[in-house]
Amino acid sequence: MGTENPGRPNFPARPAATPFAAAPPQNVMPFSSSGPLVGSEASGFRPTSPAAPQPTVPFSSSGPLAGSQSSGFRLPPPPRYTDPSVPPPASNVPPTGGPFQRFPTPPFPSTVQAPASRVPLVGQPIAQPPAPPVSFRPQPQIPPVPMGAPPQSVNSAPPNVNAPYSVSDSSFPAPMTNFQSSFPGYARMQSNADLQSPPMQSSFPSHQGGYAPAPPTSSTPFLSHQGGYVPPPPVAAPLGVQSRDQMQYPGSGPPGSIQGLIEDFSSLSIGSVPGSIDPGVDPKALPRPLEGDVEPKLFSEMYPMNCNPRFLRLTTSGIPNSQSLASRWHLPLGAVVCPLAEAPDGEEVPVVNFVSTGIIRCRRCRTYVNPYVTFTDAGRKWRCNICSLLNDVPGDYFAHLDATGKRIDLDQRPELTKGSVEFVAPTEYMMRPPMPPVYFFLIDVSVSAVRSGMIEVVAQTIRSCLDELPGYPRTQIGFATFDSAIHFYNMKSSLTQPQMMVVSDLDDIFVPLPDDLLVNLSESRSVVETFLDSLPSMFQDNVNVESAFGPALKAAFMVMSQLGGKLLIFQNTLPSLGVGRLKLRGDDLRVYGTDKEHMLRIPEDQFYKQMAAELTKYQIAVNIYAFSDKYTDIASLGTLAKYTGGQVCYYPGFQSAIHGEKLRHELARDLTRETAWESVMRIRCGKGVRFTSYHGNFMLRSTDLMALPAVDCDKAYAMQLTLEETLLTTQTVYFQVALLYTASCGERRIRVHTAAAPVVADLGEMYRQADVGAVVSVFSRLAIEKTLSSKLEDARNSVQLRIVKALKEYRNLYAVQHRLGGRIIFPESLKFLPLYGLALCRSTPLRGGYADAPLDERCSAGYTMMTLPVKKLLKLLYPSLIRLDEYLLKASAQVDDFKNLEKRLPLAAENLDSRGLYLYDDGFRFNIWFGRALSPDVAMNLLGADFAAELSKVTLSERENEMSRKLMRILKKLRESDPSFYHLCHLVRQGEQPREGFLLLSNLVEDQMGGANGYVDWILQIHRQVQQNP
Amino acid sequence: MAELYSWLVSFFVLIALLIVIVYQLMCLADLEFDYINPYDSSSRINRVILPEFITQGVLCLFYLVTGHWFMSLLSVPYLYYNVRQYLQRKHLVDVTEIFNLLHWEKKQRLFKLFYLIFLLFLTIFWMILTALDEHD
Repeated sequence: MGTENPGRPNFPARPAATPFAAAPPQNVMPFSSSGPLVGSEASGFRPTSPAAPQPTVPFSSSGPLAGSQSSGFRLPPPPRYTDPSVPPPASNVPPTGGPFQRFPTPPFPSTVQAPASRVPLVGQPIAQPPAPPVSFRPQPQIPPVPMGAPPQSVNSAPPNVNAPYSVSDSSFPAPMTNFQSSFPGYARMQSNADLQSPPMQSSFPSHQGGYAPAPPTSSTPFLSHQGGYVPPPPVAAPLGVQSRDQMQYPGSGPPGSIQGLIEDFSSLSIGSVPGSIDPGVDPKALPRPLEGDVEPKLFSEMYPMNCNPRFLRLTTSGIPNSQSLASRWHLPLGAVVCPLAEAPDGEEVPVVNFVSTGIIRCRRCRTYVNPYVTFTDAGRKWRCNICSLLNDVPGDYFAHLDATGKRIDLDQRPELTKGSVEFVAPTEYMMRPPMPPVYFFLIDVSVSAVRSGMIEVVAQTIRSCLDELPGYPRTQIGFATFDSAIHFYNMKSSLTQPQMMVVSDLDDIFVPLPDDLLVNLSESRSVVETFLDSLPSMFQDNVNVESAFGPALKAAFMVMSQLGGKLLIFQNTLPSLGVGRLKLRGDDLRVYGTDKEHMLRIPEDQFYKQMAAELTKYQIAVNIYAFSDKYTDIASLGTLAKYTGGQVCYYPGFQSAIHGEKLRHELARDLTRETAWESVMRIRCGKGVRFTSYHGNFMLRSTDLMALPAVDCDKAYAMQLTLEETLLTTQTVYFQVALLYTASCGERRIRVHTAAAPVVADLGEMYRQADVGAVVSVFSRLAIEKTLSSKLEDARNSVQLRIVKALKEYRNLYAVQHRLGGRIIFPESLKFLPLYGLALCRSTPLRGGYADAPLDERCSAGYTMMTLPVKKLLKLLYPSLIRLDEYLLKASAQVDDFKNLEKRLPLAAENLDSRGLYLYDDGFRFNIWFGRALSPDVAMNLLGADFAAELSKVTLSERENEMSRKLMRILKKLRESDPSFYHLCHLVRQGEQPREGFLLLSNLVEDQMGGANGYVDWILQIHRQVQQNP
Repeated sequence: MAELYSWLVSFFVLIALLIVIVYQLMCLADLEFDYINPYDSSSRINRVILPEFITQGVLCLFYLVTGHWFMSLLSVPYLYYNVRQYLQRKHLVDVTEIFNLLHWEKKQRLFKLFYLIFLLFLTIFWMILTALDEHD
């Protein structure tokens, strides 16, 4: 019963409201407080506190305890029930205080306080005897609740018998489990329950007694989750209940209604006959992420010293305490890490330089010192929070502790107060002197590249960025071009003109003048500029159609292998000569749907994988820019980026007039953004859990070490963890991401992000703490990886299947207490999951079949999505759709108002009014949709004289009127808010086929399109599967 | 006498195969415990994979030629598997994905190991039997 109340909203208020808040401050010392102490306080405090849990309990005995619970069921209520006792310690020990706020919801109290609404739930046995048998049928079938009443009673019995009122904590869980169990097991226990339930409602304690003799429901279980640190002030059961009551009221204020408290989940009513013609779903009521990505607040509030979620997001911040619990969590369990995420001004990661002491790390597990380590022994020792080893504090780092056990120099030590810090690494962390930033450009100059105008744009962009390349004055730069031969350029600073050397023997590549091909930019600046100025004209009459891509790549590798760095490849023609030549493939319609389908999406030639491995070994990151209008086998080329930490930018059918701006912006960003060189990343976590699989663009150098030749703020990495032990005995799991890299300035640094997450024993709590953004992010990476080894269809099905499993499990949690009927329920935290799942299945890498997306676009979108940070991925999956015409017509509106006006619409065609003008923004492009009945004034103002022409030929540019300027200002503002990619603007008019179809309509994920489901159908389909028997 | 020698030859070939497989397993185990890097590990393994395949093929043929069709039949599945891997170009260890495939690679080689040990026992059995026969 306790489980169903969400109570989430009210906890913040909780600690203060607690009657206990003032209570026993003394017992607070994290690890030291003694049992007796606690006991005495407690007794003074309230009469009935038999249970004085020893401080040690959480560590030692909680394990087995938790085990029993978890095996039985979820044990959510216990934590809640007891938490009132917790606040005092929390207030005393600020650092540890964080955790406590989080389990605030008192399950029990809510029953007490809202008896009326509860009745059906609590009293199920009584309330619903006559009719419901039907509705209850499902319950027995529910597999995940294997333990009906009997096992539980067994469970609970022994402790009770042994120590009904004793101090042993084993008695605590018992009552709770018991409590809960009555519901699931209700069918069998009915007679029993009938007798008991009345008292239970009327008074809490008595009820408890009736069930199982263990009145002293004190906090142990809760603690066991949470607070390793805090000795729980024992609370007697009655007390607990009362206090709960009292606190509950204030607490429940915020959520507004009791209903809000009780309903832990969102639910949707679905007609009783799913699948009937009238589905009975109100499409308007379906949840939509119109606010964009919302980072879970709860978690960061709970652990204020955690790193910001922009760096690290867990798919659920409640880590399951046992393998059996983890196996019931069908969503990915893991994290998405974006180690160099851009921080807004004023929140930069502090840089710490331990010159005198060396970097402080745990002797055993090599964890870096962080806010969660504890200092003991008067400050001479510190305990590692990950492996709990006691380490000596180096003499130079010593500081005295104050009365609360905190170091007195805490405020001068960012590494002890901030979740994200950057250490300056001494020479032990260098294999070689830190490398300078190196940029090597490998440019295709075959005829198609010349014709597209790509070379000119690239040369201009590089030239304009020369001043902003990071790492002045050490930056090195080099160029090579290729068609059927490879051209090198000697840029020695003593020359005035670059010298071109042509190597046409492709079988035996050699590099002429290996020392002068890669030159220091500041010394050879004028030669480089001369070269870039002349590059476009040098090849303008080139008619060579071949591409010796493979040999050129090898040559570039030879040039760079001394230093490493970034290799930017501009490629326009399918590699046709020498090693690594590729065939035209992918235009064979028949392959789709067969077992060979996935072969199209993996590299055709082993050469690319081998090269990628070699490149990574020598710290070279590859960024691929592909421009061809024909098939260029991005699947093979992208492999180079995938294993070297690079990225793939694909501009299909590049034409400098149209795509020039996009290329210019994205290339400039690639060249100028802060980049971490020759880096490795490792994520450590506490005992019992381990990261086992990693997803993203990098290469693993050992089981848990990611080699990243270059990292920047636009790259994120996902990883999944598994439980190594059947049962976690700790209350908190700590994660520490450490990225060791060379900054562009030549300093070796270690960026460390630390986060703590509570261990929970209850599946409901895991769902409550889930982060839909991270879940979807991991999901999409898994699905894209799956397309590399099986059919698209299978990848989509696996997404759907996991969503169904997760919702089914969740339904089983609550179906017993609520008569759900035809409703579909899902946790509040995951309410957007089905929609994002749908959007994922309809995203470019996964959608449809052969005809729905060109193979190259599919592959490049796949490579891109593998690197995207959470926010950008969600924006791509569920883009924003905004109506513009009303705003443009408003005379006085300024851009500033635009914020208020920016109302995102659901992505469905029914929201497109033919009199309107809409902007669709997925983070990569703008599509502006002109309704058929849009007033000609608006169109004329925006498009000038050719407003009636076919829009594919019209480009949007600023015109001499207020409306056009306003639109351009909006677009500019939106572009600035998301600088990673340039939003290229496409215009489309309603009914203009087929452009309207692929630009907009196929991206309206809520509509049915071709063979793909619409949102309503999707929900119904999922609902039907959720309701099906296992 | 020729019979006995043929068993002896097959015995030594099997021993050689076992050594190769154990060597590959050791490389994988070293990799797992981070004693060597994936580049070395995979190049070491890949170096011995083709010799392993060829030796096994020769052994199978040898059984057939010497008239031990039963043993030949027993080693056909192994040969078929190898040939299939080779034709699909999956026979070499992929250095970029080695950590994701580690589990599978180990399992595959352990299976081969037990298979070879089984063959080895059979060979020893036949060898002793032949030796006794000839002794009589």
